Amino acid sequence: MGKIRDWFSYLSHFVYAEKLESMDQILQQIPQQLINGVTVGGVYALIAIGYTMVYGILFMLNFAHGEVYMIGGFTGWWVLHLLTNSSGGLLLNGFIVIILMILFAMALTGALGMGIERFAYRPLRNAPRMNLLLSALGVTIVLRNLVLNLQGAKIRFFHTSALIPKSIQVFHIGGTVISFMRLLVIGVSIGLMAILTWFVKETKMGKAMRATAQDTEAATFMGIDVNRIILLTFLIGSALGGAAGALVGLLFTQVDYYVGYVAGLKGFTAAVLGGIGSIPGAMVGGFILGIVESLATTLISSTYKDVVSFIILILVLLIRPWGILGEKAPEKV
Amino acid sequence: MALSSLGQKKIGDIPLQSLVLILAVVVVIPWIMPNNYWIRIAGNAGLWIMLSLGLNVVAGFAGLLDLGYVAFYAIGGYTYALLCSGHWNIHLPFWLVVPICALAASACGWGLGFTSLRVSGDYLAIVTLGFAEIVRLLLLNLDRPINITGGPNGLPDLDFAHIFGFTFRTVTQYYYLVMFFALLVILASYRLKRSRLGRGWEALREDELAADAMGVNTTYMKLLAFGIGASIAGGAGAVFASWQGGVFPNNFGFSQLVTVYCMLILGGVGNIWGVILAAIILSILPEALREYGAFRMIGYGLLLVVLMALRPQGILGEISLRPKRKKKEVEEPETLKAAEELFYGDGSHDFVKPLKKGKLNKDRVLLELKDLTMIFGGLHAVDRLSLKVYEGEILSIIGPNGAGKTTVFNLITGIYPPTSGHIIFDGKEITGLKPHKVVEKGVARTFQTLRLFTNMTVLENAMVAQHCRTKSGLFSILFRLPGFLKEEEEIERVAKENLGLFGARLTGFRYKQKAINLSYANRRRLEIARALATDSRLILLDEPSAGMNPKETEEITRFIRNLRDKYGYTFIIIEHKLNVVRTISDRVIALDYGKKIAEGSYDEVADNEYVVQAYLGRKKGRV
Amino acid sequence: MKKVLLLGLSVCLIIAFSTINGYAADVSKGLSIGAAGPFTGPAAAPGMEIFNSIKIAVDEKNAAGGIKGVKVKLVMGDDAGDAAQGVNVAEKFCADKTMYGVIGPPMSNVAEATLRMYAQCNLTCITTAASRPDLTEKGYHHFFRVNARDDAHGPAVGHFIAEDLKAKSVYVLNTKDTYSQGYADQVVATLKKLGVKKIWRDTIVASAKDYSSVLTRVKAKNPDVLVVGAKTAPDHAVMVRQMRELGIKAIYFGSEGAKDKKDFIQASEGAAEGAYLNHFAPDIYKIPEAAHYVKVYESKYGSLSGFGPPAYDATNILLNAMEKAAADGDITRKEVMKYMAQTKNYRGILGFPITFDKKGDLLGGATYIFKVVGGDFKLVKVAKGM
Repeated sequence: MGKIRDWFSYLSHFVYAEKLESMDQILQQIPQQLINGVTVGGVYALIAIGYTMVYGILFMLNFAHGEVYMIGGFTGWWVLHLLTNSSGGLLLNGFIVIILMILFAMALTGALGMGIERFAYRPLRNAPRMNLLLSALGVTIVLRNLVLNLQGAKIRFFHTSALIPKSIQVFHIGGTVISFMRLLVIGVSIGLMAILTWFVKETKMGKAMRATAQDTEAATFMGIDVNRIILLTFLIGSALGGAAGALVGLLFTQVDYYVGYVAGLKGFTAAVLGGIGSIPGAMVGGFILGIVESLATTLISSTYKDVVSFIILILVLLIRPWGILGEKAPEKV
Repeated sequence: MALSSLGQKKIGDIPLQSLVLILAVVVVIPWIMPNNYWIRIAGNAGLWIMLSLGLNVVAGFAGLLDLGYVAFYAIGGYTYALLCSGHWNIHLPFWLVVPICALAASACGWGLGFTSLRVSGDYLAIVTLGFAEIVRLLLLNLDRPINITGGPNGLPDLDFAHIFGFTFRTVTQYYYLVMFFALLVILASYRLKRSRLGRGWEALREDELAADAMGVNTTYMKLLAFGIGASIAGGAGAVFASWQGGVFPNNFGFSQLVTVYCMLILGGVGNIWGVILAAIILSILPEALREYGAFRMIGYGLLLVVLMALRPQGILGEISLRPKRKKKEVEEPETLKAAEELFYGDGSHDFVKPLKKGKLNKDRVLLELKDLTMIFGGLHAVDRLSLKVYEGEILSIIGPNGAGKTTVFNLITGIYPPTSGHIIFDGKEITGLKPHKVVEKGVARTFQTLRLFTNMTVLENAMVAQHCRTKSGLFSILFRLPGFLKEEEEIERVAKENLGLFGARLTGFRYKQKAINLSYANRRRLEIARALATDSRLILLDEPSAGMNPKETEEITRFIRNLRDKYGYTFIIIEHKLNVVRTISDRVIALDYGKKIAEGSYDEVADNEYVVQAYLGRKKGRV
Repeated sequence: MKKVLLLGLSVCLIIAFSTINGYAADVSKGLSIGAAGPFTGPAAAPGMEIFNSIKIAVDEKNAAGGIKGVKVKLVMGDDAGDAAQGVNVAEKFCADKTMYGVIGPPMSNVAEATLRMYAQCNLTCITTAASRPDLTEKGYHHFFRVNARDDAHGPAVGHFIAEDLKAKSVYVLNTKDTYSQGYADQVVATLKKLGVKKIWRDTIVASAKDYSSVLTRVKAKNPDVLVVGAKTAPDHAVMVRQMRELGIKAIYFGSEGAKDKKDFIQASEGAAEGAYLNHFAPDIYKIPEAAHYVKVYESKYGSLSGFGPPAYDATNILLNAMEKAAADGDITRKEVMKYMAQTKNYRGILGFPITFDKKGDLLGGATYIFKVVGGDFKLVKVAKGM
């Protein structure tokens, strides 16, 4: 233990010239950081699923997914805005409002995702990798700046205090604090993932998706309309990303046109970490990333929190590129 | 001055007229620009030209998706800031600092390049993007506890460029400095492209596996591409820092990356002049549209999407990035002969391959396989195969699909190492050697599914094969040393000689045809010619007549035998057409489930009951 | 290849020539001022607020007849927060013969990079937010600020925290930009000087939306006061909200950007109650002279944060100087610079008189410390002359 402390001490001296906290203080923070991490991790997981589903079938990284998430956030805000009267009160029951926010966000972003696939990616189905990626980059830029131009650069606030009765807004367990909203986010994330898992495993459509992911050509021979399946994939993946956006808006009460960039990077870090192409992998990756980031804040410093994420990404790609739950695919020569 | 075959006067490799024109334009610009603002824009364009040409090496020539490219620009700029300012009070002279910055960036480029060995395509894109983010975060945060990068404040008050007593201060002076470097980079790009390195990169981009199998050390080439691209960015960064007089973290951010990629795409990936033009357009356009700043980024985004969908080859589109379309081409009927002679059609071309008589020589074992085994996750693809191949022999391997025949080829050529066993070529152990090294030793192959470099011309395909037989490096290429020039001639000669074996089919006007435009049979022939051009002794042909009609099959069959008779090659052939096997084989072996089940002359093997069983199945009741 | 190259170059030349401006010292040849700043990119929100405020001032001036009957033109020079583009903008403005002054650049690094250039072409620059101290320490005469330097407010805040709030332990967080870091540095230095022993620091990422992990760390230290240096009100809102949610009992002390009723107080939905912050001017909503501007701005562009009002005043100061310089029918950039430097006790909408000192800094500025009480800002202390 002492050696680890010495090492931390050295590191901490490098990153911020203050005295390292005692081991007690670190341990004290861990439960809270775990909560923080699991919350954020759930969001990362939802975003990561979008990336992983698309990659599984098309073998492309949908760069624009981060912006879809952002638009989901704005949609959620807009719904809340519509259902809030001028004095801050709600026009409907708080829980119903939340459900509507999430559903609308999912619907709109799902449609958006399908549109992107249809118009920006489908023409490039047989093109070299680079073309697809650059087109995705282009879509990202268009979406981000479109929102910038339409709604301005200002941040939009979610006035959420009216949504949940004050009495259950915050829980205290020992020294740890959990807000209801956090529980909600974690719950909805896990719920959506559960539904998705059921869908992919049990339903006919889900099986068709899995088949297409394994071997697109063979799937067409089996009578599967691959174009429709791809659209469905984008629909689901983007909808989940949109839900993530709305949830984040509820939780952190803000959205602006720039959130897609970092969320996107974190999302595919999580997807790659868990094994790109694997839906359970995306979930696992998301949670692990969230927790590691939060713990890194305590153990290293808040400054380098993001650096840690990217270093993890690079290390995973170098040492175990197929991720935690992925499978190494040999190339047939 | 050398005269090209077209009679144009050239200095080195650029036509004289173009050179004079370009220099004149560059020199005259400050005089015709109405004010300093436009001179500055022109200078900026020069910086962007450098950056985009540097990226062109990595992403264009070599096809490596490096999204972290701007980080090297940053490294160059910040290195200059550290070595030429009051920050740590180091004031090195400019002519020394620029190479240092280029080297620093290059070292990082090599480092990052190592990641490209592990991952490719989309993954590489993320890794490099992650690298860029890390660099940006470090630049922003490394100002405590020790102030290295100045954090968000950046490093201001940098020295002006001093070269031998002259200090560059004004916009016009810096413009000339920038343009000087830009011209150097243009020249370097040009030379690199038309060299074995350029061809090697193109081959790598087209088909990495095939490039390996043709003797291109793809590992080294990838690292080299990263390194060179990074060094150009680093040098450009130093010049930029010197001109701006300061460096700040957001000089090197995402929008700069997007801009330089747009330049690359607009100009046509790999196309030097296209990229230059695109760089000029895209650095001037935003200035003219500065009031519409918000729409600039949307414009870039739309540009990327639309260009990728409609015209991926950019404005000047030399390199075709369109999805592969087969262009059917008609075979001229007269030249179709079941040839006893070696030459196809009429032999009116200048390159005649020197003869070297060959025949089966049982005293010399050229290749030996000892207990060669390959297990794929429990499946024995090759099971303790032992085999000797004699010099000058034509050995055929037959067997049902999945018998492991191609796997044997892959093992011999080093595509993956065997689980156990030995491969000995010409007395030396080659087990587990990397593919390009195997080619060096003298073994080449063709592929069952053709793996030509489709966007390269016929001649270029053949020239790539000589990659491992030549050694011109960066230095001799950039300075066009006599050694390099001689090598280029030699490469061209060998390529043309081997193409010439196929007569009019692959020579003359065909030299400049892209491989994608050839007919199927010609593509098969090119694949063989390419393998021959590696100057190897042992050639492995994987179903050389697949997909050919009977006439073409007959041609190629006799052709192969003549190759052995007149040029001394040794062949191992995988074939399904048993009449071909019967015609040319000295010996035949049959594989089934990875095991050798028969060996001998064709008649012996064809009658072997196990062989019959393997192809036709067992009779009912038999064990 | 050759043809295309020639074509490309001709296009460029055509663009170049089409923007030639005739030389004009004569007022009647045209008057323009430039707005240099981040009007796109991540800093676009405050940037556009600045631009809109400048526009209001210019429009008002033109409606009142302009300068000697000539309408003043406002030219936008977007630098997207990037120094390299800022330099291009500077070059462009310098080359524009009808331009006599520039409002901006508001970002310190862009201001730094363009200082020399604007000085060389004698173009007056008045910035509304660039706070790095050394910008006015280099001996230039063309650069003015209506905002305070980083080293102006930090000490006042430090004193307040140590003496008025009587804090014994302070945690300081800041985002990684020039202003916030400078602010935090100054506060910490002052606190140390005043003998506060327990001080911790950490950096945060602007606009990250989730500060729970760093706040968990803050909570473990249980400081008396949490000082946060961040440029924009939304970040402060999130910070104070999550702080209260985690049950951190410390007093919150924000920085200038927090002075925004909508984006800080209202956005935090009650969590901001009891928080402190500093500002370089009194509350804009309580200044009678500002009422008209506030009304015009809010009706056209929405809510105001702290970036707009200084830009409005800065523009008017510049226009006044230009008017004085143009009084004789002829105007030069050097004259404008001279009259700018002579600005004395200008009373605009900021609620205190503006005079520039020899370096171009705001003379006799004060630090106004506010507390959030009952959903609004209440002035609790004016700290002069630090």
